[in-house]
Amino acid sequence: MDSREEAIYNRSLAAMALVGFLSFLLLSVYRKPLDFMPFYGALAFLGVVFIGYFFTGWVLISSDKFLLLLSSFLAQLGLIMLCRINPELFKKQVLFFAIGVAFFIVASLFVKYLLRLDIRPFFYWVVTALLLLLPLLFGVEKGGAKNWLAFDGFTFQPSELAKITFAFYLAGTLKEGRIESLPRMAGEILLVLGLLVLAKDLGGAMLFYFTALIVIFVATSRADFMALGGGLAAVFGVLGYYLFDHVKVRIEAWLNPWKDVPGRGYQIAQSLFAIAEGGYFGTGLGLGRPDFIPAVATDFIFSAFAEEFGFLGAAAVVLMYFLLVYRGIRIALRLKDDFDVLLAVGHTVMFGMQIFTIIGGVIKLIPVTGITLPFMSYGGSSMVMSFASMGVLNGLWLKALEDENDDEA
Amino acid sequence: MMTKLKRNVRLVFLLFCGLFLSLLGYLTYFQVYERQKLIESSYNRRLWEQEESITRGTIYDAKGKVLAQTVEEDGKKERVYSGGEAFGPVIGYSSRKLGRANLEQALNGELLGISQQDPLTVLRQKVLGVSRGNDVYLTIDSQLQNLAYKLFNKRPGALVALDPKTGAVLALVSSPGYDSASVEQKWDSLSQDENSPLLNRALQGLYPPGSTFKIVTLSAALESIADLEARTYNTPGYVEVNGRVIRDYESFRAGNYDIKKAFSLSSNSIFVKVGLEVGKAKLFEKAQDYGFNEGLPFELPVATSRFPQFSLMADDVELAESSIGQGRIVATPMQMALVASAVANGGTMVKPYIVEKIVTPLGEVKGNSGFTIWKEPIDRMTAEKIKEFMVDVVESGTGRSARIKGIRVAGKTGSAENPHGKSHAWFVGFAPAENPKIAVAVVVENAGSGGTYAAPIAAEVMRYYLYNR
Repeated sequence: MDSREEAIYNRSLAAMALVGFLSFLLLSVYRKPLDFMPFYGALAFLGVVFIGYFFTGWVLISSDKFLLLLSSFLAQLGLIMLCRINPELFKKQVLFFAIGVAFFIVASLFVKYLLRLDIRPFFYWVVTALLLLLPLLFGVEKGGAKNWLAFDGFTFQPSELAKITFAFYLAGTLKEGRIESLPRMAGEILLVLGLLVLAKDLGGAMLFYFTALIVIFVATSRADFMALGGGLAAVFGVLGYYLFDHVKVRIEAWLNPWKDVPGRGYQIAQSLFAIAEGGYFGTGLGLGRPDFIPAVATDFIFSAFAEEFGFLGAAAVVLMYFLLVYRGIRIALRLKDDFDVLLAVGHTVMFGMQIFTIIGGVIKLIPVTGITLPFMSYGGSSMVMSFASMGVLNGLWLKALEDENDDEA
Repeated sequence: MMTKLKRNVRLVFLLFCGLFLSLLGYLTYFQVYERQKLIESSYNRRLWEQEESITRGTIYDAKGKVLAQTVEEDGKKERVYSGGEAFGPVIGYSSRKLGRANLEQALNGELLGISQQDPLTVLRQKVLGVSRGNDVYLTIDSQLQNLAYKLFNKRPGALVALDPKTGAVLALVSSPGYDSASVEQKWDSLSQDENSPLLNRALQGLYPPGSTFKIVTLSAALESIADLEARTYNTPGYVEVNGRVIRDYESFRAGNYDIKKAFSLSSNSIFVKVGLEVGKAKLFEKAQDYGFNEGLPFELPVATSRFPQFSLMADDVELAESSIGQGRIVATPMQMALVASAVANGGTMVKPYIVEKIVTPLGEVKGNSGFTIWKEPIDRMTAEKIKEFMVDVVESGTGRSARIKGIRVAGKTGSAENPHGKSHAWFVGFAPAENPKIAVAVVVENAGSGGTYAAPIAAEVMRYYLYNR
């Protein structure tokens, strides 16, 4: 990292710390009686950020620090909203954040050192399928989707981990640049999708499907697969509309939420009211009404953020996510090995599609699907696995640099 | 392979550029085109919330008496009405259950203080967490209002009293009325009552104006028939138009009359002749000059008074009926009060208003900055002549029961025939004739002749106002 980049990085870090201090101080003062909990939480958060910063600087020299910086900044914005919405969730989320940063480092190390081992793609597929099967057998239902595992008081969403293993699977099977056996691969992917549909995780199914489609295209350059996949998606969509009542509800609420605001259109209408109330500059932190928005801590946190931070804040968040996608693409372009390229693309596409699907959903650009907004939504699995995903990208980045050094030497 | 792969990665990047741009684009579109609509949506709970947190402003009468206020007890806000039955149709109500009506509806934005707010005020209100709406001071004197209401003695009817020079509404009575304080409990009986107490007759009641409309016919005649006052009309007590016989009132005797006496004794047969001579175009134009067929500007919604389109007037029969305020012509009491006030004010009709001033919690006063001219239906000379005629109506004509001791009153009676029973009794007028301070219009539904039933009410209201002002 050259000194100019270093200076930009440090300035960004300072800006982030400043935003954090001001926001949490405001939340401390605004809550009556005076409560220092948010402030201590913020200190804990910044502590983790700095530890992560020094640790990556020590163990993983020349990391792509912007991955950690941008994701931490987004996590901080999410924490600010959570602290304001529900202090209990906030406390837990700070802990999740710390675990997430740890996973970032672990994933980086894993990819950098252990990926040299030749693991067969079939193994990743089995892991993915098992992860998705487990909750169906032993899981509990939360928010309409049966994709949670619970071990006394501690819940985990295996599908979040499955996103990572699925990306590994795709990169593994496609690293030769062609599909060895189309029926077999189609079968494997459809089984994964089937498990997600069975768990009623339609957002997840959509995400896995489009990620697979795009990675297949990148690997094979076959536009006909892309077209076929797109057509199939439309068929699935129409079938889903007629077969599943909850798909129908979602699509109708998207087409015209005002037809039935108290019923079907409720969620999306409340989300849109919040964004409308925010206007360009927002109501200001603590002055909006997130309590009117359903699932505000998880799926709809973006709407609450847009209400209090306005269009400008919301646009800034979208741009930050975009920068993360950009970093992922940048890493993919630097890599030499096909498997590595596909792995970077897989993670980036999975991540980027997730952002687009949930933000597009809450602003009514596309139908709402119940998935989380990485780093901002409340939830341990989402937070930890999003960081792990960034860690994988970082590990690939380190690998790219190393390979370049080897070439020079 | 590698170069193709890298090209595809770049394509993926382009795809994401597109997707994220569409997010930003849609957010921008939303802010520009959708936002305002959603903020004002009745489904938006933020609106209700805002209302809950704001203490609704107080409504005062012209002398500072409280008519409606919001009191807070144990953190619960309650709207308390102290105007009584006379004020129900004016003040209306603001209720979670029933919604809002009349002034509570029309002035909602002011009472909540949410109309025309700058963002800083909004922010300050939100930060401080408490806020108060604006107080509203009306032009109505509640003593006059109560007196006028009692004079109706629950008979269906309406009264409008104005200051003819400024347009300030001094009394706005609709009988039978209701008490805003008990409207929630009595809703079922009020809404089903055949006398429709919830309706503000003064503004929404459309009645044939009967002979009071002869003021308009006379205005048109004075302007278009040069020798009108020099003429003598001979009448047998009725007139026949295309086979239709229009009679004079029973008390009217056949004989020779000049226009002044014909007006004073309210001769239908002579005014039909005058109307036919004026012609439908000119009569129609004059009615429009007086504000017929046009939305009447006022803080509360007023039904539009109608004079039939002259092109649609079938024949002379319709014109004959229109000349004496019968047929398809209808007017609100507010409209007829304005006709009287235009004559009183030398031919100038000012816009009526009921809100004297609005005071914000910070003490800023948004006043009603003087009067605004709405129409100028007749010139000063014609107005003076009509005034003279109207004085004669009260001194020696059909309006004698509107006389007030020591004060010269100008007026015109009307007994409007209608399909629902006895005639509607009308009286419009003003006093004192030489320097008018109050103009009134009174209608008592299906009561009989205007001189007997409406004129005394008008006289009592004017007398009280002029002596106690």
